[in-house]
Amino acid sequence: MKNFESLFVAWMIVWAVFFGYQVTIARRLSQVQDEIERLKSQLGRK
Amino acid sequence: MNTARAATTILVKEVRAEFRARELLNTTFVFALVVVVMFSFAFDPTAAESRRFGPGLLWIALLFAGSLMLQPSFAREHANDTLDALCLAPVSPFAILLGKILANVIFLGACEVLLLPIFAVFYNVALMPVIGRLVFVLALGTFGLAVTGTVFSAVAAQARMRELLLPLLLLPVLVPLLLAAVEATAGLLSDTPELQSTWIELLVGFDVMFFTVSWLLSDFLLQE
Amino acid sequence: MIKRLIPAVAVGALMIFGGYAALFIAPDESTMHAIQRIFYFHAPSGMVALMAFTICFIANIGYLVGRKPHWDCLAVAAAEVGVAFNTVVLITGPIWAKPAWGIWWAWDARLTSTLVLWLLYISFLLLRDLIADPDRRSVFSAIYGIFLFLDVPLVYFSIRIWRTQHPQPVILGGQGSGLDPTMRKVFYLCWFALTAVMAILIRQRYQLERARNEVEELRIEAERQISAAGQA
Repeated sequence: MKNFESLFVAWMIVWAVFFGYQVTIARRLSQVQDEIERLKSQLGRK
Repeated sequence: MNTARAATTILVKEVRAEFRARELLNTTFVFALVVVVMFSFAFDPTAAESRRFGPGLLWIALLFAGSLMLQPSFAREHANDTLDALCLAPVSPFAILLGKILANVIFLGACEVLLLPIFAVFYNVALMPVIGRLVFVLALGTFGLAVTGTVFSAVAAQARMRELLLPLLLLPVLVPLLLAAVEATAGLLSDTPELQSTWIELLVGFDVMFFTVSWLLSDFLLQE
Repeated sequence: MIKRLIPAVAVGALMIFGGYAALFIAPDESTMHAIQRIFYFHAPSGMVALMAFTICFIANIGYLVGRKPHWDCLAVAAAEVGVAFNTVVLITGPIWAKPAWGIWWAWDARLTSTLVLWLLYISFLLLRDLIADPDRRSVFSAIYGIFLFLDVPLVYFSIRIWRTQHPQPVILGGQGSGLDPTMRKVFYLCWFALTAVMAILIRQRYQLERARNEVEELRIEAERQISAAGQA
């Protein structure tokens, strides 16, 4: 196929944007959820 | 107190406050002038290029100067907490907003009156043959700029870095207004002057829509 | 642990699904060959971005009317996801344009409008970052968001008229260029896949925002407890 390299690069970038965004959100979400658990137990204790 | 009378009172207060100090008008006018001059240094336009880029430059200068000038509209109130006092008064929030918008129209208009002759000289354009229609286009554009700028000034006043924020909030939103105003002005200043109705309709549509939405949202806008 | 991976897997699967269709099912286009296949992600991404911004608009109105925090969370989630899709449009456009036209950028109607749209909603996100107080942030970003969305048709309209008066090369087919039936099927398929990706991303981001709000409330309560215990 002609111009396949450009298509491949574009495809990789599109992948990176969406998948990367999803992964970043998921990671932040678990961090925040851990923080919630921590605070809840701290409040429960006191 | 009915809306019209309240708005007029606010308008008079704003204008009087400004004319006592006159700092806003002077600074805005000089800034617009500086933009115009800088352009010549940056691009060194030929006579033909000057005529081609003139309308665009005029409106860019107005938008930049305006977006800096509109900032104190609400930031001033915020700093002195006078907005709370205003809101306690038995006037509708829209009246306060309208008074400020009209004051800003007057300030911008005053700048334009000073700027136009200088622009005509620097860029060798003959304004007199089309002056009526040109003033009409300027009025529509200025009103849109004032409405949007005043409302967004109230929004930006809530945030940090508001001096940098207001142009950022304002300028992308004003793209339709900029396009319409520049094209309409260019049409008037071309070899065959004509007032292109598409652009005028766009300007009117922009002004009407933003003014209406400002009215609808004015309660939320001025609540704190 | 597995539950947390589901959204990522779903996004990956949808992308592979769409990609396969775009790369192998769609017929080869006569002039541009492979690079034209970017179209199957470029154009639908633009449409999905607009869908996301519409959701943001509805959330903005919802917040001003009801003042429930979940509207605010939805608004920021939708805006961020919309910007992500818009970024894809702005990146794939030039990647197509360079082999096709030899230039990275032409101020053509659709790409320019997308750029302005991108700037508008980036400003929205920046505004939110710069307002400290959470309630004011919600109210004022909702107000700004409403103005933004109503500006969007004006932006598209004015830029289109501008470009008809001063024509420039058009990136990727412009309005209503004819699609043969298989191409159209692949187009809708990719559009569907990307819409599903949008929904997953918005939901995730929404949950993140709600979780953050919960953390804030818990922190405030923890501090209150500490100071109360200190005074006791």
